Amino acid sequence: MNTRQALTGIFATATVIIVGWQVGAVALGQGAASSTSSTATTTSNPASGLKSGTYTGSNEQTQFGDVQVEITVANGTITDVKTVVLTGNEGRSDQINSQAAPILRSEVLSSQSANVASVSGATYTSDAYLTSLQSALDKAKG
Amino acid sequence: MRHVFDSMGTTISVELDGTADDAARVEQIFHGFDRRFSLYRDDSELSRIAAGRLDLVDSSDALREAYALALEWRTATGGVFTPHRPDGVIDLNGVVKALAIERSGQSLGSDWIVNAGGDILISGADRVVGIADPVDRAALLCSIVLTGRRRAMATSGSAERGDHIWGRSPEFAQATVVADDIITADVLATAIIAGGSATLDDVTAQFDVDVLTVDRDGQLRATPGIRTALATGQPDSEQAEA
Amino acid sequence: MPGVAQRTVDYARNYRRRALRSTLLVAAVWTTGGVAAILFLTSAGTAPFGTVGAAVSSLGIIAGLVGTDFILVMIVLAARVPLIDRTIGHDRAIAVHRSLGKPALYLLLGHGALLLIGYGLEQGFLPFAELGPMLATPNMPLAFIALGLMIVVVVTSLVAVRRHFSYEGWHVIHLLSYVAVAFAIPHQLSLGGVLANGTLPRVYWITLYVLAFGSIATYRVIEPVVSTFRHRIRVDQVETIAEGVVSIHLSGRALTSLGAVGGQFFVWRFWTGSTWWHSHPVSLSSVPTDGTARITLRDLGDGSRRILSIPSGTFVSIEGPYGLFTPAARTAPKIAIIAAGIGITPARALLEESRLSPGEATVLLRTSMDDRYLWDEVATIAKAKGAKFYTMTGPRATSGARWMPQRDAERGVSLRSVFPDLLDSDLYVCGPPAWLELIEAEAVAAGLPAHRLHSERFDW
Repeated sequence: MNTRQALTGIFATATVIIVGWQVGAVALGQGAASSTSSTATTTSNPASGLKSGTYTGSNEQTQFGDVQVEITVANGTITDVKTVVLTGNEGRSDQINSQAAPILRSEVLSSQSANVASVSGATYTSDAYLTSLQSALDKAKG
Repeated sequence: MRHVFDSMGTTISVELDGTADDAARVEQIFHGFDRRFSLYRDDSELSRIAAGRLDLVDSSDALREAYALALEWRTATGGVFTPHRPDGVIDLNGVVKALAIERSGQSLGSDWIVNAGGDILISGADRVVGIADPVDRAALLCSIVLTGRRRAMATSGSAERGDHIWGRSPEFAQATVVADDIITADVLATAIIAGGSATLDDVTAQFDVDVLTVDRDGQLRATPGIRTALATGQPDSEQAEA
Repeated sequence: MPGVAQRTVDYARNYRRRALRSTLLVAAVWTTGGVAAILFLTSAGTAPFGTVGAAVSSLGIIAGLVGTDFILVMIVLAARVPLIDRTIGHDRAIAVHRSLGKPALYLLLGHGALLLIGYGLEQGFLPFAELGPMLATPNMPLAFIALGLMIVVVVTSLVAVRRHFSYEGWHVIHLLSYVAVAFAIPHQLSLGGVLANGTLPRVYWITLYVLAFGSIATYRVIEPVVSTFRHRIRVDQVETIAEGVVSIHLSGRALTSLGAVGGQFFVWRFWTGSTWWHSHPVSLSSVPTDGTARITLRDLGDGSRRILSIPSGTFVSIEGPYGLFTPAARTAPKIAIIAAGIGITPARALLEESRLSPGEATVLLRTSMDDRYLWDEVATIAKAKGAKFYTMTGPRATSGARWMPQRDAERGVSLRSVFPDLLDSDLYVCGPPAWLELIEAEAVAAGLPAHRLHSERFDW
């Protein structure tokens, strides 16, 4: 057999094995976690020129059924985004209602003054702990 | 009583209705996990695996169980959460702290709070817990009541500059996940930071959790469960400290 | 005449097939570049062009992906992949390889510059202030070294600069491009979300690297080593056939299984103390038998002078066969061959290889001096195969058709008069570049389509 043909065969086989192995790894990784399309969220856009009121977007077909997005605008900014499911069963629409939607800082503002027992934050080093709210809390209560 | 100690490169605060022995036991649990899993200690079991001095098959059951758990979460998050560093080294940092918190809880009585570097697990009475502002660690973004099944809260951030420059910049500066158990909360918070809004949508659709994110412009997104769990402004005597 | 009836090769159909393959190859190259850009756009999140900073960064990432894709395509083109060699020929593959070099470098420089500026804008820093954090990021120092090496490689390949290097010196520098490509890999895989672990874009990217480095390893390293040791070629005898011109008779094992065709060349390396470091691309001057082969070469300076005196028994390593100066490249019912000087070597082997009916081929040999080596062999083969055989001797004309002697030019000789069927022919030309270009120009002016022009430049 021609050397070149033999080597081409080996090269092709090796390539197919390596690529197949990689594709297989991806397929296994994604197969287990069925992905959900993101259809219900809208980013809040503080652009001026928006008139106050409630607006309903066009129908969009999703795996959950027909979906509409409804936004509320006040003083030129979007203050609320709701996902309205037009059809489909209850269980599915529950899922979509669990999605994270834009929320205004002013809506969470009042909760800041609550008396907290502990503080959650991105993992800090032991040094950074010293300047953290949790540290102040520990000192106050310790 | 309240006990504060350093382990795993961070600071752990334990608040409990118990004795100094209980507190010391929790500290030992954290140190034990750190000795086994820290990649900053040359002599840890995981470092020896990373250096090729120990085969995974010869490692302890505890290590293999933690690795298996991390791999399950990798599958469940479609690969967004991964127990492997880019250079291939097994890094169980993403699950070990949560495992230590969980184990600590099992060793304690009924009424306690464990806060390990900002990841919180509670038992007993409902508690109000704050979420730090990613821009200012000394300020609160908001407060949430942990009640009913919701016992765990974890927050992950993208403050590290390296991340921020080189990823396509993470969409979220911070992600907080409230869940029934601390491992779910911790892993999913990490995954949302790594995977951005696509992962956020997956997580909220797939898992029974509540999420609050802060994007890079400071805009917030929250699931309905976060809205309803927001603490009220007035200090409430029912949520008093233990 | 049974010989004629047997041989109704449909050259036009061969050509259409080859043209289709060639189109597909070009399309594949463009597709890989396009997919590289799309990889980013599909994974870039919500607003890759939302702000000026983000837009500049996004362009930077796309430039990096496309530039790297160009580099990988260049590697494949330089790998002498048989499919590419058979389709467009080694010369054109290398021409494309060269033409991609500068665009690839500009894209990669743009990649670095745009990201510095883009991140600077996003952070409100000056671009240079971003250098520090960038260099502190894992794998980035390697990436900067890779870019530096790539600059060296491309600059030393510019025609004006390359002249100052010996081929070997330049080649060693050129090999640094593999180091550069390798050094750039870690930052592509570990930084940035486009090629994140466990995603199809990452698989695609790894596939490109496997193909590029696999091609190089298979056809530039493994195949030559395997062929060399399988066929065990040695120098039988060095025969001086003219002033400074030698035929080297070689012997080896199972040479027909190399699949070499008359008109092709190998890259030869003669393992004596003074010649092993210098490789020579030289055409076969006759069709090899199973046990013997012959090449003919002229002393063109450099290392080739030492070859004139290599002893019998010298071990020879080979890379090849390469080249499309073969019957396989034919597209037309007739064939016209013109060769000058040492260019006669592939022309002679091509003629010997060709299966011809009488009158199908016309051969013209040309020399400006008096060296007519191998002419008698060509004459014998031409006679046996019923080919028309012409010669032109004497210094080049100073006016008119300057590729032929003065007196022929004055008589009004032209390509069309030598080859009346030129437009129904494939024209094979082999000789010095300047001379060859004159013939190419006349052929094209006479209406010969470019795909029927097959030339082999002898500028080594």
